[in-house]
Amino acid sequence: MIFDSEWLTEHLDGAPDLDTLAARLTDCGCLVELREAGDGAEKWDVEVTTNRPDAMNHRGLAREAAVAADAVMRPLEFALEETGEDAASLASVEVEEGSACSRYVARVIRSVSVGSSPDWMQRRLLNCGVRPINAVVDATNYVLLELGQPLHAFDLDLVRGRRIIVRPAETGEKLMTLDGEERELDPSMLMIADAGGVIALAGIMGGADSEIHEGTTDVLLESAHFDALSVRRTARRLGMRTEASHRFERGCDPEMAAVACDRAAALIAELTGGRVCKDRIDVYPQPWEGQRMEFSVAALSAFAGLEIPTQRALEIFRGLGFAPEGQGDLIAVTVPPFRVDIERVPDLYEEVIRHVGYDAIPSQLPILGTTPGQRNPNWELVDRAREAAVSAGLAEVMTFSFIDPEIDDQVTTGPLCPGAPLPLDNPLAQNQGTMRRSLLPGMLAAAGANLNQGERSLAYFEQGRVFSLGGDGPEEHERLGVVLSAEDGKTEERFARLKGVVEHLIDEVGLPAVRWVRGGAPWLIADAGAVLTDDDGTAIGLAGMLSAELAARWDLRQDVAVAELDLARAAEPAPPRFEPLPRHPAVTADMTVEHSAELSYSELEEAVRELKSEQVSSVDLAARYTGAGLPEGSVRTTLRLVYRHPERSLTQDEVNAAQESLRRRLAERLGITFA
Amino acid sequence: MSTQRLEEVRSSFLADLESAGADAEAVEKVRIRYAGRRSGLLNELTAHLRELPNEKKRDYGRGLNELKKEIEAKLTEANMAVRDTVVNAEPGQIHVKGHPSTVSVGTAESRIDVTLPGTPLARGAEHPVHLVRRRIEEIFLRMGYDVEDGPEVEDDWHNFEALNIPPDHPARDDQDTFYLADGHLLRTHTSPVQARVMERREPPIRIIVPGRVYRRDSDLRHSPMFHQIEGLLVDEGITVAHLKATLETFLHALFSDEVDVRLRPGYFPFTEPSAEVDISCIFCGQKGCGVCSGSGWIEILGSGMVDPRVFEAVGIDSERYTGFAFGLGLDRVAMLVYGIPDLRQLFAGDQRLTRQFA
Ligand SMILES: [Zn+2]
Repeated sequence: MIFDSEWLTEHLDGAPDLDTLAARLTDCGCLVELREAGDGAEKWDVEVTTNRPDAMNHRGLAREAAVAADAVMRPLEFALEETGEDAASLASVEVEEGSACSRYVARVIRSVSVGSSPDWMQRRLLNCGVRPINAVVDATNYVLLELGQPLHAFDLDLVRGRRIIVRPAETGEKLMTLDGEERELDPSMLMIADAGGVIALAGIMGGADSEIHEGTTDVLLESAHFDALSVRRTARRLGMRTEASHRFERGCDPEMAAVACDRAAALIAELTGGRVCKDRIDVYPQPWEGQRMEFSVAALSAFAGLEIPTQRALEIFRGLGFAPEGQGDLIAVTVPPFRVDIERVPDLYEEVIRHVGYDAIPSQLPILGTTPGQRNPNWELVDRAREAAVSAGLAEVMTFSFIDPEIDDQVTTGPLCPGAPLPLDNPLAQNQGTMRRSLLPGMLAAAGANLNQGERSLAYFEQGRVFSLGGDGPEEHERLGVVLSAEDGKTEERFARLKGVVEHLIDEVGLPAVRWVRGGAPWLIADAGAVLTDDDGTAIGLAGMLSAELAARWDLRQDVAVAELDLARAAEPAPPRFEPLPRHPAVTADMTVEHSAELSYSELEEAVRELKSEQVSSVDLAARYTGAGLPEGSVRTTLRLVYRHPERSLTQDEVNAAQESLRRRLAERLGITFA
Repeated sequence: MSTQRLEEVRSSFLADLESAGADAEAVEKVRIRYAGRRSGLLNELTAHLRELPNEKKRDYGRGLNELKKEIEAKLTEANMAVRDTVVNAEPGQIHVKGHPSTVSVGTAESRIDVTLPGTPLARGAEHPVHLVRRRIEEIFLRMGYDVEDGPEVEDDWHNFEALNIPPDHPARDDQDTFYLADGHLLRTHTSPVQARVMERREPPIRIIVPGRVYRRDSDLRHSPMFHQIEGLLVDEGITVAHLKATLETFLHALFSDEVDVRLRPGYFPFTEPSAEVDISCIFCGQKGCGVCSGSGWIEILGSGMVDPRVFEAVGIDSERYTGFAFGLGLDRVAMLVYGIPDLRQLFAGDQRLTRQFA
């Protein structure tokens, strides 16, 4: 809120210079964020926290300033002259029982001539960011900024039957508010009505029909106390936020309603030549009673970690209007009506601590058992995954957890779909309308952006959660996604590179061994995609070359290899175990097999592993050839076998014999030929 | 099949040999593929000769012979080149058993321009937000704090009500919330994990909670998705002085022992009293600069003593225990530490950004 520095200090005796005052206010919790030159005074932008509506006006902030800067509050003084005519004879106020209105104060001011307000008032209003309108309305706004009480002025002649009725709206009622909007009302909303219908939204905004205008002669001034929750709900429902609703929502002072009404009436009379009728109309069925609270200064000191003298605590509460009484270690206070935030003893501690200042509190580290800190297993898992990806040379990216529902549809038909979609009720944009069920859409959008930035090769990963709706409510699944792309190279090489990365990740993360099964639509090309399944055949990942259809979706003009792994099945990998180093040299022997492309490499390798001599310590792919010289649909695969005996060196003849035997058995098993 | 096939084999041989260069192992592979005793292509071409009709045998046979000669000659030549390398490399010629190749040690094939750039390493990199998270985790792990975790999709109780933010509380305005169609919400802060941990654990509790949070807001300084880290300590006799010292110790470890730490009274519904915490500007030494908007101070975290209402909501004896809590934005710290101007840049998936942190 913006304050006028002159207006603020006007309420104080013995105020320090403005620099000191601003610093002290900041120290006690009213952050002076910005100071600017205004008209005749400085404009201060002060951040008053939402629990302190009492300080959202000049007099309230001055009360804080007085305690913070060792000044004294001046009493609020103004002169109010009343005529002999009784206000109650000119207007009536009824508050329907059970209404969210605990007090309704009204005054009548007659024979006003509505002109503009004087310069001094306009200057202050403008400094605080309020546009002057006319003397009557300006006076109500002035008192709002000064005392924090929202007021409303009606043209009494336009109040039908001269009756004010506070009641809920009836279904179907409508009101044209001051801002020219027609509002549809319902019975959850509190209204000000007259004999003919609704004339104002209680605590939010008046109606256009009873507005003060140039010809207004008699004014009915409303100064009421409306229930915070009722105002808040109505304002939210109507999508309105006004100076009045802002204050009522946070809580106003019911006792101030009378004072503010008098203050505004006196100002209106002074500015418009009007005459204030005798007495307030005041419907106040249950007057405020102050809550008494008591606390021990020793307990406060123990809580703060600082010895606080009783005298200092008493001073603070006196300055803040709590009428404290000290008795030994105990201090009893009465919570003033403007302090809606004070409910319990710790709230009182805060008052003392913030005025004593955090600077005065010593620094002392707590002493607890010397137990080591533990990381939650999920953090261990995702960090293991992230570290594995970094060690594979990938850069980490983050994309939004919400994506376009249209793209999310692709997940439904693809492998790795975690469950039903989880849409947002109030997304910021249509293309952020649903929680992602796969990391790929976000990562592929990023691929487009990166390529557009002129990146030629992509190598990045994302680790994060995907979301779905399961039988027991929302579910979250940790995933790891990979995107690779290079300008040149054959598909086979690109796929092999991706597979190398994925195998490394599976190993490092501790995922179960997987089978690479051809598949992965709609994400992947049918000829170059795989679904990764565990022993039970459950998909835990997919990897391959992005399909043309999806590449077009993100306008990718370069082949992209993608993979996504679900981390749920991961277990911490066992620590490595040392194996005795071999003492005898190995013999390497290659074996070249010509076979149909229908026989997959993994089938071939599995057969070799099963049939090989026990002296074979490793089987690897050495070369693979298709093309010229081979019949259509045939492949030539060279396997490299390493023979090793634990106790002696093997001879070439022994190895040859083992190879020959293996060849024979392979030929029987697979019906293949040897080159 | 005809002589055309011979031409194909010839050109693929020349291409393969060319790319094998002077690499002994590669040359040997080419030899096996074309002239190998068992599997060589020449065998296959020879076998084919027998199947041809007589009138074609003549041309094909002649072509095949020429090809054989050429392949042999080229292979010899290539092997010479390979052997030459070895011969020239007399200082340390090694034959590796079981490998057809020979390698030379202690020589260079040609003079090297030592000022040429090295082959770049393909290094991976962590996202700056995670770098900052790990740094902060490390500090608190050393102080005996556990690192906790919780769901990003939350219920109203843990995100709001347990934290003393009842329905219609004005504080809900400050945290524009994303709601899900099934009635859950996206957590607006990491604080619900505090409530979850206190519900299942007895004090003493000493935890930090890093994580992803969401608010319905987007501009230069706000992103609908960002990251926080939260701290909580609950035990008997915990004081404001403990909170102050813990935050000072943490901020000194994170930034430098030189920074000044300032606590200002603030307001959070779940702490009482609350404090906003500033550090002296690390960029201008408090002379005033763009980062601190001229004030010399940078707002870095929010904190306070746990409100007894929160203890009561999660079933902890508020007469016996006190505690403190604090929270800060990880993205904000990353932006500050690394000088990143726009929050939204962090979540654009731009690999160029992360590569800078390799
Ligand atoms: Zn600075």
